[in-house]
Amino acid sequence: MEWSVGDVTRRYTASVLDSEGYLSLSSLNLDGLAINPPDISISRVNQHGRLRVEIAGALHLAHVAKLGDDWWIHLDGRIHVVRMHEPGSAEDESVEGGLSAPMPGTILEVLVKQGQRVREGQTLVVMEAMKMEHRIQAPQAGEITKLHYSVGDRVEMGATLVEIGD
Amino acid sequence: MTAGPFSSAPRPFSTVLVANRGEIAVRVLQAAREAGLGSVAVYSDADAGSLHVEVADEAVHISGETLADTYLNSEAIISAALSSGADAVHPGYGFLSERSDFASAVADAGLVWIGPPAEAISTMGDKISARIQMIESGVPVIPGEELTVPDGADHLGVLAACAARVGYPLLLKASAGGGGKGMRAVQEPKMLRTEYEAASREASTAFGDGTIYVESLLTGARHIEVQILADSHGNCIHLNERDCSLQRRHQKVIEEAPSPAVDPELRQAMGAAAVKAAESVGYEGAGTVEFLLSSRGEFYFLEMNTRLQVEHPVTEMTTGIDLVLKQFEIAAGLPLGIIQADVGLSGHAIEARVYAEDASRGFLPCVGRLATWKTPQGPGIRVDSGVRQGDAVTIDFDPMLAKLIVHAPTRRAALRRLDTALSDLIALGVTTNIGFLRDAAAHQAFTTGSVTTDFLDSSDISGFSHTEVEPAVLVAVACAAQRLGLERVPSDGGMGALDEHTGHPGDPFRTLTRSFP
Repeated sequence: MEWSVGDVTRRYTASVLDSEGYLSLSSLNLDGLAINPPDISISRVNQHGRLRVEIAGALHLAHVAKLGDDWWIHLDGRIHVVRMHEPGSAEDESVEGGLSAPMPGTILEVLVKQGQRVREGQTLVVMEAMKMEHRIQAPQAGEITKLHYSVGDRVEMGATLVEIGD
Repeated sequence: MTAGPFSSAPRPFSTVLVANRGEIAVRVLQAAREAGLGSVAVYSDADAGSLHVEVADEAVHISGETLADTYLNSEAIISAALSSGADAVHPGYGFLSERSDFASAVADAGLVWIGPPAEAISTMGDKISARIQMIESGVPVIPGEELTVPDGADHLGVLAACAARVGYPLLLKASAGGGGKGMRAVQEPKMLRTEYEAASREASTAFGDGTIYVESLLTGARHIEVQILADSHGNCIHLNERDCSLQRRHQKVIEEAPSPAVDPELRQAMGAAAVKAAESVGYEGAGTVEFLLSSRGEFYFLEMNTRLQVEHPVTEMTTGIDLVLKQFEIAAGLPLGIIQADVGLSGHAIEARVYAEDASRGFLPCVGRLATWKTPQGPGIRVDSGVRQGDAVTIDFDPMLAKLIVHAPTRRAALRRLDTALSDLIALGVTTNIGFLRDAAAHQAFTTGSVTTDFLDSSDISGFSHTEVEPAVLVAVACAAQRLGLERVPSDGGMGALDEHTGHPGDPFRTLTRSFP
């Protein structure tokens, strides 16, 4: 199993050592290179996502919950997400040169046509979610090669809206 | 039915229908129960399992796909009141709360309207007539112009000419807007068209009215608003100010009372102006007069919100006055029962709005399921929440999940309490702004009480300091959680989950009141 924290391209692998319910890492790799495992000992408080975490001798309490491939972790008043990946899985599933919906919502306006040349920063699509508008802008200049949605369509988060070629 | 608290009042009622959803519906429904009144909720398909439905004595389903079919459907709401036997309607904030036609329709149906008179709503709700009213009443206003476009005329041409007279930078406001929706700043003429279209579209979506108003954009000012209460016997008082200067794109983020920028003399002057504004329109009920306070200490009328505000709890915490209960009493025709001299100011209160949004990605709204939702408790901590553990956060509604309010003897102590309480607010499964709220409240500009309304929009929020946890530590925690099998929670979230204290399937309210940790 591989793990990432924030940046999905940086992958960790780890070996867990279980000493009578006290878990630690015996080894840790980042992008295939061995790094020092943290000085940590983790044990279960109960079955409901509560963990005792001892970091360099200091005691912390963590709350965890898993949704999909993500472990959500509340530790020291901050919330973090650690993602599980199949070993060697693709870094990013988005379409090359594509522009995807940053959130689920509804397409309000499509401001460009297929084949049209656009400049960097030009607004291509306007979408709405939760009563607020968001503009999808061209990350670079290029030609619109494909438009996937039209006005009024509902789109899922991550759906490719527009594709831009050179 | 036994005699209720208002059975012998001039305008008696015994059961309140709350025409709203989320945390404010929960707040008002609970207040009704506390007052000894019956309570009725309304809900759309998307809200069938929502918290506000469960805290009401009775809930009426309103079918339909859109907000216009449901929470903005005044006919359906009034018939829900009549069919359920409710005899009063509380609108909450947003939705129909500032629609004078709804206020009239409620009254015409023989129901008690828990809000100001329809004429006051319509005068104040229309920013143009409100402005004229304030000028006539001697309340200072910001330089600006209304946009009157005859049918069929060139909207953009008229707007451009008007904008040129007012001068840039300027603010476009939907006349019927509020809460930052339908409000756009325009820095230079070439952006006018885009922003105008966006503003009118947002206003149409959220409020069903697309009229626009142009006003000079004051920079470096603070947003100070004054809570007022007025009864039907001619009594009108103010309950001090709230400072809502920490805003992002005109959406309030953190609010506090009292304002660090207002001294007793200014409080008295602004309070008097707010009372004058309310009296000039024959106001009744709870209302808020918003002002901009310039860096030179001059204040200008911004607008009057003829309803309960999101941030009303900071006033409740510092005055000890329950504003929703006062709304009920005033609607029943009872006198205020307090005079200006009775209004105290105790300690300092701060409210942080908890949103399902990703601060690191331009505050995009986020969706998901709240696998864990544990709220902090303790002296001086209040959480007004519309959600509970296991709830789905969807794109159908505003992404505000809850409000965290703290109260302490001093501002300094309140800031510490806020930071601790935010640290103890555990929301897993949906990205929230909790970390951002901690960073913003800990920023020197806020701790010193010197933020102005443009602070967040002109700051690089990625530079707000916070201590990073080593990724290796997080990987270790995730590995351990996986190894210990902690992911095996019921897939239907909170509803089917066993309560860890009782071992029984969860009572959803227990998670809201459970002690922490």
